[in-house]
Amino acid sequence: MSKDKKLMPMSEAIDRYVADGDVLYLGGFIQQEPFAAGHEIIRQGKKDLTVSKCAALILVDQLIGAGVVSRLITTFTWNPLPTTAHCFVRAVTKQIPGEVEIEEYSILALNLAYFAGALDLPYVATKTILGSGFDGEQTDSGVKNRLRFETSPFNGERVCLVPPIKHDVGIMQVQRCDPFGNAQAWGMLGEVRYGLQSCDKVIICAEEIVDTDVVMRDPNRTLVPGFRVSAVVEEPWGSHPGPMAGYYDMDWPYHAYYEKETRTEGVFQEFMKKWVYHTRDRKDYLGLLGQERLEALRPENFESDPVSYGKLTSHFGVPYA
Amino acid sequence: MIVSAARLIEDKSVLMVGTQWPIIVSLLAMSLHAPGITICYEGGAVLGKVPDRIPFFTGDPVVNSSSVLMGNSFDTLGMVLHGGRADMALLSGASVDRYGNINTTCVGDYTSPKIRFGGSGGACDFGSLAPRTIIILEHDKRRFPEEVDFITTPGYLKGKDDRIRSGLRASTGPYAVVTTLGLFRFDEKGEMVLRAHNPTASVREVKEGVQWDLKVHKDVGPLDPPSEEELRVLREQVDPGGMYLREARLLKGREVVI
Repeated sequence: MSKDKKLMPMSEAIDRYVADGDVLYLGGFIQQEPFAAGHEIIRQGKKDLTVSKCAALILVDQLIGAGVVSRLITTFTWNPLPTTAHCFVRAVTKQIPGEVEIEEYSILALNLAYFAGALDLPYVATKTILGSGFDGEQTDSGVKNRLRFETSPFNGERVCLVPPIKHDVGIMQVQRCDPFGNAQAWGMLGEVRYGLQSCDKVIICAEEIVDTDVVMRDPNRTLVPGFRVSAVVEEPWGSHPGPMAGYYDMDWPYHAYYEKETRTEGVFQEFMKKWVYHTRDRKDYLGLLGQERLEALRPENFESDPVSYGKLTSHFGVPYA
Repeated sequence: MIVSAARLIEDKSVLMVGTQWPIIVSLLAMSLHAPGITICYEGGAVLGKVPDRIPFFTGDPVVNSSSVLMGNSFDTLGMVLHGGRADMALLSGASVDRYGNINTTCVGDYTSPKIRFGGSGGACDFGSLAPRTIIILEHDKRRFPEEVDFITTPGYLKGKDDRIRSGLRASTGPYAVVTTLGLFRFDEKGEMVLRAHNPTASVREVKEGVQWDLKVHKDVGPLDPPSEEELRVLREQVDPGGMYLREARLLKGREVVI
């Protein structure tokens, strides 16, 4: 096991591991989104990023509105209220604040692309997508993606070939992680296992830092092993206004507020000043929300029963050591 | 619309359920005549019960504590749907055309759209792979063009033969469209046919509600109105707080200030 401690503040993790022009994977399938990390990326003025996000919600909308994204790889982008993600729509329809190239897939196709990236496969063949607007060969829709279409050498069927998608760096907020980067997450995991493993570098932001012992008593819950992780950031409430299973609910009124505060470019800039540019870090952001609001988002306890993996110390009465 | 769609769901079937109307439709069916259905969401969840409050979309955190499996998208979209273990998919959409193709991407040309919507999510996978897809949406003439601007989710494309030519399997495709005006099925060529109209809407009204010359089934007639039991279960069990309406989920009336 990698024994380097990787704990550092968010500002250092983003400064050291996210570079202008990077292909950046953002983890979290609706739950566990790295909002705190995204805000730090905006504050540090990163440029020309390709953001790859299977389920893009208002964090991606903010990154687009802040002008740090030049290309977006996604399957959908919206405010889960559900309503329009205004910055995304302004970028696509009016090129405000700049042009964002959209590379679009279905969820299964993008999962396969991350999977191929994680395993370094040349491609994966699938039967989804065929005939749709994402099938650029069949429909001439103008869609831009890297899918190809072939006849299967095995049964002669038309198949969609999905290329590997790899990333320079990936970021996700999880429930708990040890100082070495062994990260554990639970809840709806969507594409994240393959997304994180298709990244050269990984930044894990965690609600809690725990001892390796805690990880080792439940290794099935580990999403990514420490040797794949470059930085670990302790960042409680780092997914607000999104949800974190067992820690906090989705903040629905905040999403309605965001919708209202982003209808025009002008009000969006005011929103960003308040919540991102004029906050130094997550602590400042949480201060704006107030402890009372945060407490109101905590769920009731709904604990799993403990499981035992069994500790093997002897065999037929003969001690191992 | 919610009740008519729920009636199409057979007990013990395995469903891929999309966001919006499909959530409430599938939970109503589960609470009425189909307690044995399996409900799968694209993010990797397989539900174990009607959740503690109705999920507002399929990634809602309330799903975390109401599921028998909380896995990866490969568990549901991959091994259930692509693996051929799903019986049916339920979807909403911004617009649907004559051959059941669904658009949730844009109005106008894709490269310079007039209006842009969220995009596919798993919808394209549902429509590509499910043996039977049910499409549920509010009826509005603008939502029923002869041909959609972008095929987010493939229906029968330009007809059933065209779907098969594209490589999609012959055993898959749209099964029904349910709207606030009526119930539609598809003929042997894959074209939408009005099968039944809501008791409050006439055939003429439905025909005027789409942008092409809609075919009408020879045995067309009114749908049975929702029974008292169906409405009671919907209002008292499936969504007792009336939270499926967006206003309710924002806790309107109980001021939450930022």
